[in-house]
Amino acid sequence: MYLAPNRHPRNTFCGRLARRELLHQVGGGFTSLALSGLMSTDGFLRSQAVAADGATPWQNPLAVKSPPLPAKAKNVIFLFMYGGPSHVDTFDYKPEMYDLDGKTVKIKTFGRGGRKDGGRVVGPKWKFKQYGECGKWVSDLFPHLGGQVDKIAFLHSMIADSPIHGSAMLMMNSGSVLSGRPSLGSWVNYGLGTENENLPGYVVMLDPTGGPISGAKNWTSGYMPASYQGVVFNATGTTILDLKNHRGASRQEQRLLIDRLRSFNDRHLENRQDNTALSARIASYELAFRMQSSVPETVAFENEPEHIHQLYGLNQKRTADFGRKCLLARRLVERGVRFIQIYSGGNHNDANWDAHGDLVKNHNYHAGNTDLPIAGLLADLEQRGLLDETLIIWGGEFGRQPTAEYAKGTGRDHNSFGFTMWLAGGGIKGGMSLGTTDELGSAAVEEPLHVKRLHATVLRQLGFDPNALSYFYRGLDQRLVGPEGAEPIHQLIS
Amino acid sequence: MLRACVLVLAWSVSGLAVAQPLSDAAKVEFFDRQVFGILKARCFSCHGNKRALKGNFRITSRKGLLRGGDSGAAVNLDQPGESHLLALLRSSEDGERMPPDGRLPAAQIEVIARWLKLGAPYNPQLEIRGVANEGLPTNQINDRTRSYWAFQPLQRPPLPTWREGPLPAQPIDTFIGEQLRQRGLRPNGLASRTQWLRRAHYDLLGLPPTPAEVRAYELVEAPDAATRVVDRLLASPKYGEKWGRHWLDLVRYAETNGYERDTNKELVWKYRDYVIRSFNADKPYDRFVLEQIAGDELPAPSPDAIIATGFYRLGIWDDDPADRELARYDYLDDILRTTGETMLAMTLGCARCHDHKIDPIPQADYYSMLAFFADITPQGSGNRNHVALTDLEAKADYERRLAARQTEEMRLQKGIDVWERELLEKLAKAKPELQLKIKHHGKPQQQVLIPAATDKSGTNWKYTLKKPANDWFELAFEDRSWQQGPAGFGTKGTPGSRVHTEWKSKAIWLRRDFRLTTIPGRVKLHIHHDEDAEVYLNGKLIRRFVGYVTSYQQVDVTAECFELLQTGRNTLAIHCRQTGGGQYIDAGFIADDGQVPTAVLAAKYGREILGVERLQTYQMLVRALGDLKKRKVEKRTEFAMAVSEAGRHKTWILNRGNPRLKGDEVGPRLPQILDPPQLAIPSVNAKAPTTFKRRALAKWLVSKRNRLTARVMANRLWQHHFGRGIVRSANNFGYLGDLPTHPRLLNWLATELMHGDWRLKRVHRLLMTSRLYQTSSQSNPAALRADPTNDLFWRFNMRRLAAEEIRDSILNLTGQLNFRMGGASIYSEVPDDVLRTASRPGAAWGKSSPAERNRRSIYIFVKRSLREPFLESFDWADTDNTCDVRFVTTVPTQTLTMLNSKLLNDASEQLAQRLVIERPNDLTGQVCRALELATSRSALQAEVEEGVALLSELREQLDLEPVAALQRFCLLVLNLNEFVYLD
Repeated sequence: MYLAPNRHPRNTFCGRLARRELLHQVGGGFTSLALSGLMSTDGFLRSQAVAADGATPWQNPLAVKSPPLPAKAKNVIFLFMYGGPSHVDTFDYKPEMYDLDGKTVKIKTFGRGGRKDGGRVVGPKWKFKQYGECGKWVSDLFPHLGGQVDKIAFLHSMIADSPIHGSAMLMMNSGSVLSGRPSLGSWVNYGLGTENENLPGYVVMLDPTGGPISGAKNWTSGYMPASYQGVVFNATGTTILDLKNHRGASRQEQRLLIDRLRSFNDRHLENRQDNTALSARIASYELAFRMQSSVPETVAFENEPEHIHQLYGLNQKRTADFGRKCLLARRLVERGVRFIQIYSGGNHNDANWDAHGDLVKNHNYHAGNTDLPIAGLLADLEQRGLLDETLIIWGGEFGRQPTAEYAKGTGRDHNSFGFTMWLAGGGIKGGMSLGTTDELGSAAVEEPLHVKRLHATVLRQLGFDPNALSYFYRGLDQRLVGPEGAEPIHQLIS
Repeated sequence: MLRACVLVLAWSVSGLAVAQPLSDAAKVEFFDRQVFGILKARCFSCHGNKRALKGNFRITSRKGLLRGGDSGAAVNLDQPGESHLLALLRSSEDGERMPPDGRLPAAQIEVIARWLKLGAPYNPQLEIRGVANEGLPTNQINDRTRSYWAFQPLQRPPLPTWREGPLPAQPIDTFIGEQLRQRGLRPNGLASRTQWLRRAHYDLLGLPPTPAEVRAYELVEAPDAATRVVDRLLASPKYGEKWGRHWLDLVRYAETNGYERDTNKELVWKYRDYVIRSFNADKPYDRFVLEQIAGDELPAPSPDAIIATGFYRLGIWDDDPADRELARYDYLDDILRTTGETMLAMTLGCARCHDHKIDPIPQADYYSMLAFFADITPQGSGNRNHVALTDLEAKADYERRLAARQTEEMRLQKGIDVWERELLEKLAKAKPELQLKIKHHGKPQQQVLIPAATDKSGTNWKYTLKKPANDWFELAFEDRSWQQGPAGFGTKGTPGSRVHTEWKSKAIWLRRDFRLTTIPGRVKLHIHHDEDAEVYLNGKLIRRFVGYVTSYQQVDVTAECFELLQTGRNTLAIHCRQTGGGQYIDAGFIADDGQVPTAVLAAKYGREILGVERLQTYQMLVRALGDLKKRKVEKRTEFAMAVSEAGRHKTWILNRGNPRLKGDEVGPRLPQILDPPQLAIPSVNAKAPTTFKRRALAKWLVSKRNRLTARVMANRLWQHHFGRGIVRSANNFGYLGDLPTHPRLLNWLATELMHGDWRLKRVHRLLMTSRLYQTSSQSNPAALRADPTNDLFWRFNMRRLAAEEIRDSILNLTGQLNFRMGGASIYSEVPDDVLRTASRPGAAWGKSSPAERNRRSIYIFVKRSLREPFLESFDWADTDNTCDVRFVTTVPTQTLTMLNSKLLNDASEQLAQRLVIERPNDLTGQVCRALELATSRSALQAEVEEGVALLSELREQLDLEPVAALQRFCLLVLNLNEFVYLD
């Protein structure tokens, strides 16, 4: 079990952890977040800000923690291409496939339409060009991203346990097709805390058309306390739920109210000094008050110079929305937010990358919305020196099949036997490609990479042994990578 | 303290010699002050840890020290200086020296040497005794695990001797008192009466007492006042709503299936109501478990026994899993885990892929337990898992109503018969031409006047597709200009059709003549219409058909036609319309010479034969009978989402939990560590609806021989009154769980539960009338130092209200809380920001009326992919896994909700309105009243002053209207720590 070095549980032998103690420290119900970090920096820390034993300093579960191993990355931005982009039309170049267009082949596939033994090939619908020093072939869907390939490591042999959206989303986000597990961001939040106590440690930004299927299940903290779950950020308008007062109360009014409340709560605390949960709650009002100004400051893009607006595509209708989210992600990273997930696509059907009908129309639309902003994000992070410590993940919950789903048209069904994702920054080697699929892209052939390997890599880059970072629950040391464990993808690590 | 000083002095004077003999107490004191710290800091981690004891040597108890370890005896009490332990401490060799991570300072080694010379005395209170057979693994069934506390047969311990004056109110206090005394601690004094009352109200009802209840209780002086309050609360139906929710946490209650579609579990709310009902009725816990595990297998199961088995349908379900076989095992695993942890506090699920790593649960036990559930039908959507409820009472009632109805029908019929006999007899005489008598005899002869297309290739009809003149259906209408074609008319593919003439337009008009030589007794239409059709005979509308049918229907039209039929030429005319989909029309006309229905004859000749008045009497009887027959005797079948079994499934041990790696076959069998009896599962024939395996399991779960069920439930009752269980890990009594802080108390309480007929309310009474329940939650520096985590219960644990309690209390304060119980779940008002996170934002959440929105939180719809945001924010139970202890987090997003949300701002406005009505024109009164409502106590002078000051600040500095300022003050009141924390 991973234990933050500054967290000393009670009743230990030689400072070592009796496991059942930790169970209750982190989840047993009688402890709570005390926000001691906040209290100490603001001078609120008083003698009562200790655990019930009167000696142990209380720790904010989200207080910043150092990982046990040297970390290559401090932050993660997960660009989630919800619905499943077609790898053979994006980054997995299959030159022989163009001529097979329309021909019937024998090939095993498994998607929402069930298992099939063959079908009509849909050739790649876009031309590919070589980019960068590495000469990576990239489809015409991503002319801007093409310019960034030397920063990117492509994983062409990803595999997942399910080709069905519901369970595949859970797999990509929580490592299991079964519901109820904490999401990747929650693990990071649990392991690292947040550097900026005025902002959540784990932020999720959704598509304007709605959330992905299963909604909040995708950023849940599962069996961990809710303090580790993702906080939905709206890049426009209201930002965070209830950040603005429903009645539009002014800062002055809120200050007055919080000050008076403080006075009432202090009186209540007087002969209950040892209950740190009470002082934590008092402190949380100051924190909430500060969030009300720090969050709007974070999303205030106006001060960004014009060339930044252009870099992220904020001045173009198609790219403005995703561009704003990418820029916000950079601003959040700058302010110490550890894990950010941005969804491209939401809702159902063609509102996301789920191209069952018209592949060309669907992918032109979604790639067109995201190509420029993502390229801008990579370039911007690099020029600010943030790319080294920020791990970018791009991909969907699965890829798509080489064959057509229906008798007519270009639509492709889901494919979890082989698909492409890519990583950049955060100590990942650029300009490389790992693994292959067969000549039609139907299944991983060389170096199959299970989703858990991706998760293990993320945790490793952040400074964790993925097979050691655990959370005690239901009689087991639960891990993101499951009881069998998983190795990081060592070839990627620079 | 004085004694300790003297002792220290004595040692320093006498130096190393310790010539002077020490009393036993002084020896213990020496151990406490000098030795224990060294052992604890440097030795316990390897030679005291319960699971990884190095060298099989335990130094945490005297017994362990004297027993020694793998390398032989550690101490030699005859020649203490020669002890192996001292040699190891003094050794300079790295591989040999203890502790291995650095030599003890010389002074500490000398302390140890001195201690051994004293005979190695221990303080029994500080000893951590090892367990018998310490070296044996805990994950096998052996002497060690068999003697583990949780797996021991349940025995009622004697009550500890009470030495502190008058006997306490409840036996539990003697157990608590004994352990406190042993540690030299005294319990806190008593909480105030108001604190106690608030505790009792929240613990049993989830709501605070009203100010009137508080005042009444402060004044009452009867010695049994507390008992009376507890009885009053236990009798309130709100009790079930509070305690039912504890159970719903355990069984991971939710009303959708999760995953991509997250479809609703229709009618599953009946299970929630069943749980509430069961708690309110004080249903014995053994019955409660029996019903949920095997209610359907009980003799003549009541509706509640069936609804209870909804237990099996509460979990997550992927309707489109990638691996169907694995998904079946995932479903069964979810049931097994939930059952194991909820009823037995055993983590059976950890033995799915291999033997349990820590607890004595071999993989074979896991699959043997799985076998009990193997025949349960899979989850399904819609009404797939619905089971009809046989309500014996309702059934008897239906039969009563049916019998009464038949009697009434017979009575009417008899009356009618008398009239009809008279009518027919008189009519036969008066109108011999009707040949009534002849037609009485023999089977009626059928005559097909117009064949339908079912019989032949189709009768020729005249038809037109253009709207004809208004008199188109008259006998005399001239239809020569119409087209002619064989019936039926319509489009091919219309269900049940025989199309011989295509008709695709919106309407068709048809005419056909037929001839009669005698007037038939009965006539029928043989018609297929898609869609609306009107049928005319000889110029009169005889029947109008609405909508469409998918096959030919026979319709008796004797009554309608009796007056219209004539010898010679007759004309049938039909108009049919079409709006969409398939279309078709055809009609045959069939006559027979059977008896003309008497009612028809009566209509025509009754007045003449019987006279007006007598005819009316007759007709009234006929109408009454007709009306009676039209009213169905309702037999309402209620359904519930419940368990059912199908087929007989074998169970194998699955290697690594993989369904494709089948090992040995196993049958239903109980966990062996619990020394279960041989199960008697009756053999039933292959077609029986269930196999009675679950009943056998359930009966064992609640049998007196079961070692865990009563302990587990007694612990939960304790947990929700005292802030934590006697075993803190309420769902895990295994080696990875917590040890009970008061093991004998737990055993005592478990036997009380069992011997008290498993009734929970009785145990509530025992706990709540104890002294411990009255104890204050105040801090006490000495006790806090000695027992910081309150393991000994020297004080009462403060607690934050649960999510439901906070929301319900807010609504309660406003006076808007709607106490209607039961029924389908309701939808609270969810902000758009939250709805936007759903994949179908518009269809994610329902809408309830304002009154319904204000119902208690237990009635809010539990949707797995969109959890009610307010409850979610305050650590609502997880929906996907059993939840024994809720988290209590404090995060700023909660604070944002409490300050800024619509819910809180609306509530504070409503509270302000309430105050204005209750304390008109009285600012001080309003402030007092708000504080009193929120805290159950009278406001302090300082608080009132501050409240009034805030009101004037708001008015003056912010220019707010008085009502608006009061609303802000109410918002403050709802944000008080005292409002959400219980003393």
